[in-house]
Amino acid sequence: MKVKPVNHALAAEKFIEDVAHESFHDERLWDLRQKRDEQMHILPEWQELRTRASQIKEHTLANLPEYLEQFEANAKKNGIHVHWAADGAEHNRIVGEILEKHGAKSLIKSKSMVTEECQMREYLEPRGVTVTETDLGERIQQLDNQMPSHIVVPAVHKLIPDVAKIFAEHYHTDPNDNSAQSLAWQQRLAARPVILSADAGMTGGNFVVAETGSFVVCTNEGNADLSATVPGLHIATIGIERLVPRMADMGVFIRLLSRSALGSPITQYTTHFRGPQKGSEMHVVLVDNGRSHRLGMQDFWTSLKCIRCGACMNTCPVYRRSGGLSYGAVYSGPIGAIIDPTFNERKYSTLPFASTMNGSCTNVCPVKINIHEQLYKWRRVLAEHHELPFVKREIMHMAGKLMGQPKLYRAAINGTEVALSTMPRFVLYNWLNPWGKHRELPHPVKTTFNSWYKKNRLNIQKEREKA
Amino acid sequence: MSSRDAILARLRDNRPDPTAHPLPPVAKLGDMDAGKARFENSLQIIGGQVLERQENDTLATAIARTFPDSKVICSAVPDFEGTIRIEDLDSPQQAASVDVLVVRSPFGIAEMGSIYLSEAQLNSLNSAAHLTQHIVVILSPKNLTANMHTAYIDRPEFHTANYGVLMSGPSATADIQGVLVRGAQGVRTLSVWWED
Ligand code: SF4
Repeated sequence: MKVKPVNHALAAEKFIEDVAHESFHDERLWDLRQKRDEQMHILPEWQELRTRASQIKEHTLANLPEYLEQFEANAKKNGIHVHWAADGAEHNRIVGEILEKHGAKSLIKSKSMVTEECQMREYLEPRGVTVTETDLGERIQQLDNQMPSHIVVPAVHKLIPDVAKIFAEHYHTDPNDNSAQSLAWQQRLAARPVILSADAGMTGGNFVVAETGSFVVCTNEGNADLSATVPGLHIATIGIERLVPRMADMGVFIRLLSRSALGSPITQYTTHFRGPQKGSEMHVVLVDNGRSHRLGMQDFWTSLKCIRCGACMNTCPVYRRSGGLSYGAVYSGPIGAIIDPTFNERKYSTLPFASTMNGSCTNVCPVKINIHEQLYKWRRVLAEHHELPFVKREIMHMAGKLMGQPKLYRAAINGTEVALSTMPRFVLYNWLNPWGKHRELPHPVKTTFNSWYKKNRLNIQKEREKA
Repeated sequence: MSSRDAILARLRDNRPDPTAHPLPPVAKLGDMDAGKARFENSLQIIGGQVLERQENDTLATAIARTFPDSKVICSAVPDFEGTIRIEDLDSPQQAASVDVLVVRSPFGIAEMGSIYLSEAQLNSLNSAAHLTQHIVVILSPKNLTANMHTAYIDRPEFHTANYGVLMSGPSATADIQGVLVRGAQGVRTLSVWWED
């Protein structure tokens, strides 16, 4: 059976209908974007940091086999067990075996997108392992049986009454509790006994340092530290693209990460794990799951530089109004729209179209991924692979023709004034064009730059030449 | 072929040209002010506090005044009493009953207001730094480093400790409707006590 493409536009439409949620979502993420801007303005070296972060990441990816081997050798020296997983299934099997060997039945974990990719919970729970998320947002999503809707703030699409309802159902708290403080406190009270009695702990890893065989985890709640240090067994699941060469490089990334993500100077806890704590065992599972393949995609390999700050999502007008769940994928927003099709080209074929191509994502990305250009490239690839519905294919076809022929393009642009003012509205605003439903087109320009230039500058030049 | 070798082989086949992507040299960028005032300002931004010091205060009297309801005060430093010593805590479960943990940090970062702790300061009970309700960190202004670059380049701890956490204020979350809540999962407050 063929998988159906995610109907992002339809899901977004449903999200938009709920005005309270949609406008909060939009404002909250825009607020994060503005806080990020404030931080950027505080640091005169901001652009240099971005350039360096990008260069370090590109260098590491181009030398990834060597850095992975270096990490493995050093980590082993430090007493860490290192495992390699080609895909999600292998990752889950490895984790399952480690837990079984220790007779571990309860696992507490901090947020990790890789385990979402691998659908680890779905694998472990039927095998008798209870998996409890310790990150508050992630826990809310777990209790509500939903995927995280944002890579940094997983429950950002929910309002206080939504959380109160979920907690009332699972923690038997007051369903009308309307204070974020008291709800967070309920979570703390509910989580502590689970954390203290857990058999094993799991974290992700934001950065992996080849030189020292260590990995770095950044959280605000300290939940990764609790997951890693309370039980006597710590498993870290990490994507192979997370490497950096030297400990001295970490300054660049830590200075960019939280500032780009939330507009705070640093996450409250930046923790460096270099080996097991006394009387404890530590495992690192290095997960490929399509990454080594993506490294070979000439147009898309730099998406592996991503440090998962979420800045591109916070700034994206489409993401802010459609909500992360509408992407129907583990990764949403602009970066999701680039990497999701590498997991399943047909299923996620609609996502690269969920963009206005305004380039804002590219501008905020701390590791300088050319996000909007990659979105455009995906559209072309998908068109070539015939993964597009008729309308999008035709639009691409026409756009391609136009852009390929400057004269025709100019004629068309010059004609927009006529077209926009004479074409009946239903041509532009109809069910074939879901994005047109919620927005008006800009007023047509009176003259294009090209015709203005021809008329004014060329004439001036001619005058000058004459003189 | 093992997954390890298969992954490495695929990466070798697929990678972009390594010579086209040189590694930039390590650099110390940004503001090099390692002063106490800068640290205090940063600490306040991230929600930490300087433990108030009144005339004739000792650390003990300052703690008693700031945390009047505290019963279990655990010391991880030789020169402070407390009600229990960290060496006497046998497990994370015991650490969870601590109200205030007093510990000395080897260095702080002026740019972020962060303090560093590792197993060396925590008597290898690393979870104590997060399970306690409040943490009081003794820090000397002499041991401030300017920013994240100087910290990572100059401090040896990042190469030697098995567990090393940069604590930047109390545990925090804004996961419920964007409202900032301190004391989400770990410590509810973090206070710095200046040692001269
Ligand atoms: S693509 Fe860039 S902006 Fe988006 S999450 Fe990744 S690093 Fe952040």
